[in-house]
Amino acid sequence: MASIEEYLEQLKKELRGADRAVVQDALSDAEEYLRTALASGAGEPALDDVIEAYGSPAEIADAYRENEALISRAHVMPVVEAAVPEPVPVPTPPDTRNVFLKFFGVFAELRTWGAFLYLLLAFGTGIAYFIWFWFGFGFSLGMLPLIIGVVIALLFLFSIRGIALMEGKLVEALLGVRMPRRPLFTRRDVGFWGKLKFLLTQRQTWTTMVYMNLQLVLGTAYFAIMVAFISVSAWLIGRPIAELVYDLPAFSTGNADFYTQYWAMPLVMIGGALLLTATMHLVRLLGKMHAGLAKVMLVSE
Amino acid sequence: MDDIEESVKKFQKEMAAGTSSLVLLSVLARATEPMYGYQIAKLIEAGFHETGIIKQGALYPVLRSMESAGLLESEVEPSVSGPPRRYYRITDAGRAALGRWEEVWDQTRKFVETILTGGEGNG
Repeated sequence: MASIEEYLEQLKKELRGADRAVVQDALSDAEEYLRTALASGAGEPALDDVIEAYGSPAEIADAYRENEALISRAHVMPVVEAAVPEPVPVPTPPDTRNVFLKFFGVFAELRTWGAFLYLLLAFGTGIAYFIWFWFGFGFSLGMLPLIIGVVIALLFLFSIRGIALMEGKLVEALLGVRMPRRPLFTRRDVGFWGKLKFLLTQRQTWTTMVYMNLQLVLGTAYFAIMVAFISVSAWLIGRPIAELVYDLPAFSTGNADFYTQYWAMPLVMIGGALLLTATMHLVRLLGKMHAGLAKVMLVSE
Repeated sequence: MDDIEESVKKFQKEMAAGTSSLVLLSVLARATEPMYGYQIAKLIEAGFHETGIIKQGALYPVLRSMESAGLLESEVEPSVSGPPRRYYRITDAGRAALGRWEEVWDQTRKFVETILTGGEGNG
């Protein structure tokens, strides 16, 4: 094999169809080893010998595939266990019980609260990414006429990759989707212009920029949706206390106050609880969709 | 003849797959400071002399999976010349696991030796 780039290209081919994040990890592991071996070996070791010790692209691809299969099995197991409803000793029709538990069990699942936290955080990260992007973009553009502007642009592009990695870790921790666990490697032997060109030709650089803007819109929408649904649920559930204890009417027009009928109180509260639970299902769904989006936009091919 | 070579290779691979996590965890338990993949691979190679039993590249995914199981933790640090390196260190959970793994290894070794030597000494 002629070069490290060629090896990585073949490894990528061998890993075709594997999880994108696994591919990225495998490539940076191989790159770390091969470059370190070439740099530190005594008397200019030949690349072929180094590859012989490291393993051929096919062997290495197999190793990552086997391992990832083990890991995801280990990750999935507890989730599967949690999804199985506890057997209830009271003899009730099993069908309704399962649906009931499945519906309300959403509160007991860690994944729900991870997504909940993520969607709340997205409001803040969305604003931060948006500000950083336009600040960096404008600043780089404004300084471009000066020589120093190119350096600033390069630093800005590096910061974008840092954000992609950080956001990926957040997504993996809270939404439970495998994302790259280490930064993408940038070659050190290509010089300043090579680095700039590499960053500018990476699809991930541009999609991350789009993501940074999209996050503001999505984060705001998530926040608005959650606040709206949760406050309506809380309003419904809180009716008895608001009306019976604090004497606050459900509705007021200019000359009349409307109160909930006593017989309707339980129904209103149940409605609120149902709405709240449905909101948590929506939160999970949004989290899942957002994780898919992040994976497409933040992980390089 | 080729068939035998083939079976030897397959057996080597299976043995490596079964023991590499024990070897890696034990190396990191003895290490006084965090180590990165290439260092670990070279250390193992030096102890073995016979290269090719474990492909060095196959160690990386094992490190990664042990990290996600909480037995190891890692940090990426830029290096002066070359790509950034991921430094691994063993966690308390990793040390606890290693203790149990060594027991299992001891039992397995004794069992296999007993069988290989024809079940002498009442096994």
